[in-house]
Amino acid sequence: MSDTSDFVLFLGRFHPLVVHLPIGFLFFAFLLEVLGRKKKYEALTNAVPLALLSGFASAFIACVLGYMLSMSGDYDEGMLDIHFWFGVATTIIVLIAWLIRIGKIKLKKKLKIKANISAITLIVILLSITGHYGGNLTHGSDYLTKYLPFNKKEEKVLIPIEKLEDAVVFDYLVAPVLDAKCTSCHNESKKKGGLALIDSLSIMKGGKGGAALIAGNAAKSEMIKRVLLDPHHDDFMPPEGKTPLTEEEIDVLKYWINGASADFSSKVGDVETPENISKIASEMLGLGHSAGKGKIPNLTEVDDSILKELMTEGFRVSELVFDSNIYSIELPAKTITAENSSELNKKLELLSKIKDNVFWLYLEDNQLTDAHLNGVTQFKNLKKLKLNKNSISDAGVSQISSLELESLNLYGTNVTKESLKTFLKIPTLKKVYIWGTSISKKDIDSLNLENESPEFILGI
Amino acid sequence: MCDHHDRLKSNNKDLQSVEKQLDRRHFLKKTSLGIGALALGSLLNTEKTWASIGNSDNASVNAFTRNKLGLPHHLPKAKRIIYLFQSGGPSQLDLFDYKPKLVDMFGKDLPESVMQGQRLTGMSGSQSTLPVAPSIFNFKQYGESRAWVSELMPYTAEVVDDLCFMKGMQTDQINHTPAITFFQTGHQLPGRPSIGSWLSYGLGSDNENLPTFITLVSKNGKGQPLKASLWGNGFLPTEHQGVQFRSGKDPVLYLNNPDNYDGADRKRMLEYLGDLNSIQHDAYGDPEIQARMSQYEMAFRMQTSIPEVTDTSDEPEHIFNLYGKDSRDPGTYAANCLMARKLLEKGVKFVQLYHQGWDQHIGCPNGVKFKAKQTDQATAALIKDLKQRGMLDDTLVVWGGEFGRTVYSQGQLTKTNYGRDHHPKAFTMWMAGAGVKPGFTYGETDDFSYNVVKDPLHVHDFHATLLHLFGIDHERLTFKHQGRRFRLTDVHGHVAKDILT
Repeated sequence: MSDTSDFVLFLGRFHPLVVHLPIGFLFFAFLLEVLGRKKKYEALTNAVPLALLSGFASAFIACVLGYMLSMSGDYDEGMLDIHFWFGVATTIIVLIAWLIRIGKIKLKKKLKIKANISAITLIVILLSITGHYGGNLTHGSDYLTKYLPFNKKEEKVLIPIEKLEDAVVFDYLVAPVLDAKCTSCHNESKKKGGLALIDSLSIMKGGKGGAALIAGNAAKSEMIKRVLLDPHHDDFMPPEGKTPLTEEEIDVLKYWINGASADFSSKVGDVETPENISKIASEMLGLGHSAGKGKIPNLTEVDDSILKELMTEGFRVSELVFDSNIYSIELPAKTITAENSSELNKKLELLSKIKDNVFWLYLEDNQLTDAHLNGVTQFKNLKKLKLNKNSISDAGVSQISSLELESLNLYGTNVTKESLKTFLKIPTLKKVYIWGTSISKKDIDSLNLENESPEFILGI
Repeated sequence: MCDHHDRLKSNNKDLQSVEKQLDRRHFLKKTSLGIGALALGSLLNTEKTWASIGNSDNASVNAFTRNKLGLPHHLPKAKRIIYLFQSGGPSQLDLFDYKPKLVDMFGKDLPESVMQGQRLTGMSGSQSTLPVAPSIFNFKQYGESRAWVSELMPYTAEVVDDLCFMKGMQTDQINHTPAITFFQTGHQLPGRPSIGSWLSYGLGSDNENLPTFITLVSKNGKGQPLKASLWGNGFLPTEHQGVQFRSGKDPVLYLNNPDNYDGADRKRMLEYLGDLNSIQHDAYGDPEIQARMSQYEMAFRMQTSIPEVTDTSDEPEHIFNLYGKDSRDPGTYAANCLMARKLLEKGVKFVQLYHQGWDQHIGCPNGVKFKAKQTDQATAALIKDLKQRGMLDDTLVVWGGEFGRTVYSQGQLTKTNYGRDHHPKAFTMWMAGAGVKPGFTYGETDDFSYNVVKDPLHVHDFHATLLHLFGIDHERLTFKHQGRRFRLTDVHGHVAKDILT
């Protein structure tokens, strides 16, 4: 069918435009007919033949254009056939109705009125059916009912998995990408380019241009080539106006075609998985610590008045990501000195009102003691904690081992090598700053650390 | 009639009496020229007026309420930055980009296959030959990352495992002024906001008592001149421009009150001035008036904050030793590095250092040696010092010039001497700290350090990456000016994801 000339397709695309004309004319004819039965509006019936004739003419043109459009082969054939025949039938009935109306088909007077009204009612019914199928063709068969109240959506339910290795590559990684970016045009009823990307059968069947992919060769696979084209290229997918695939999504598709040879049942554990893919995959599936990194928990909004109060108490407050409700909080060094050390408790108490929202906490050089750290243990989302230049000892540090910290600054505190054990208990910890404490390089060397352990920064 | 716009309105008694005196004149002005002038004025000033509504009003409502620009876009890695600008164009060939094969090419004409018809400057373009000049300095590999560093940078060599070298830097400009302007503002012509201004505009201040963006220039700088447009705010509200400190004993002059004035009524004076200015602002809606008001207030607060932050007397001996003996001499590069650290500690977001004189057209070996000696120890000390304090976690350090230098000698080549001309197509910079891979080298040049063969990083890409580290999508931080939305990276820039942690 690809030999259909461009000009025919060009005309064909006017079908959705022209098709609305007969709909309007014919419904209006129906309206005139019904109203015309009342004495008061009798004159209206004079217009019915004109409305029917215009309806017929435009319906005829719409049929021709519709046929031209169908030659593109982009549509589901079964549904297309129904739409086509209903369209043709409607047009013929309109012609007959018009002929009856103007008296070319001669009927007895009594019969004529009945025939008029029934023909025009039939037209309305046929129009509705044709229109419905037409709409299904363009928008997909679930378009009309998608948001129907109480309409339970049947969704493929993926069982949540614990380990990345157990995830079926296609179901857990590839299908979500296709669903998000491709299937709105490449589905069972709307097969743009003859291609559907719904399931293994349709994907392997390919489209008009041939196979959608070549297992094991992403670089030569059409679906990869298309998404990597210059965005202004005519063949670029998804077409202009739709959201393009992200680099990560393309990597996942490539990994599936190359690594998993486009197999539909392989699991991540069965195929060689590069590090960047496992990172992307765990993020997609929300797994593991690597996924937790950089991921922002859903937090409730903080009351503005608390933030204002914090600022008047001398805290520097900044939201780390706009509208994320996670904050970096800093009490500038020396806000608390020996003279006003009693205020510290009050300030920390106020801060604990937003304890879940604090990601980074800077409390450097503010007369903190071990006792204050007890409160800090409640800040369960803390990633970065600066406690340097405070009188903090091992006892204080041992309390915060339950936090999932990534960076802990304890330079110029009273911690000793005893605390090294505490640090190792925090699996997320990456950096510990212990310059100016009694911990020496020898102490750290004696731990015989593995690569996974945090980096200890001692200073010069 | 919208005459209420420029009528003085005040609760202040003194001002109200002035208002009354103006009434008759005011009336005549309004009924004759007034309307036309007003219309014209609003035509000319719409942008400023809109700017004041959309943009600079934020200054008064900051921090505790949400960022008005919707920033940051993603989780930032960097909170602060110190940019060590090596003005003039340091020779990558004599410092970091080791090219051992050049020894065999000594004195030979640079092959056309390497030059690829590149247009040279007028300074070396007319030379009959372009003799290849290998570096006379020895290179060694250092650290776990095995990075090559020349003997001129012994201190930097100690911290290579904290640095991320970018050896494929590229710029569009071959001459100093456009090249440095391009690096600092994203455009070769002056008038666009500098990087620091964009950050200040986008992210606001962390310490209300100090400017967000401070510029320090090494004293006695010779060579290509620097100018204020490099740290200028362009079309952004004026309070976002870089504040330049003097390179000397008093970084900011006249902080102390004059003799016989105790300063007791200074605050009252400023408040009164603020009243006058806000009346003026109500009348004309010019955001520059607000900028002036906030700068006066900043100056007032700086009277107390600056002496504290610029006083290095409480620094221990070993810190001075770390930065080198120059660090006791105010205004030197080393002293500026130390002061930069103190400023960052106090919550200044952007410290821009400049060190001039890296422009070795002639006598390159001695020149580079001298410049390296002035800067090497303090640069490395800054890295170490920030690291031991845990500040390197969220502080980005950038080292680099506006372009690199040529592999061929400008002027006569001898065994011990050569000159090097400007080279925009390939040069080396490094970054360290917040969010960039430590002990990593990105990008590669050919055997002549002339063309980038792998992972080029254009100035626009550098800007995009820098903003990314601050949680900003470079395509979404924009400012509408003269009918167009401008951004630091204009219509270019790709984040170099490979160098991010």
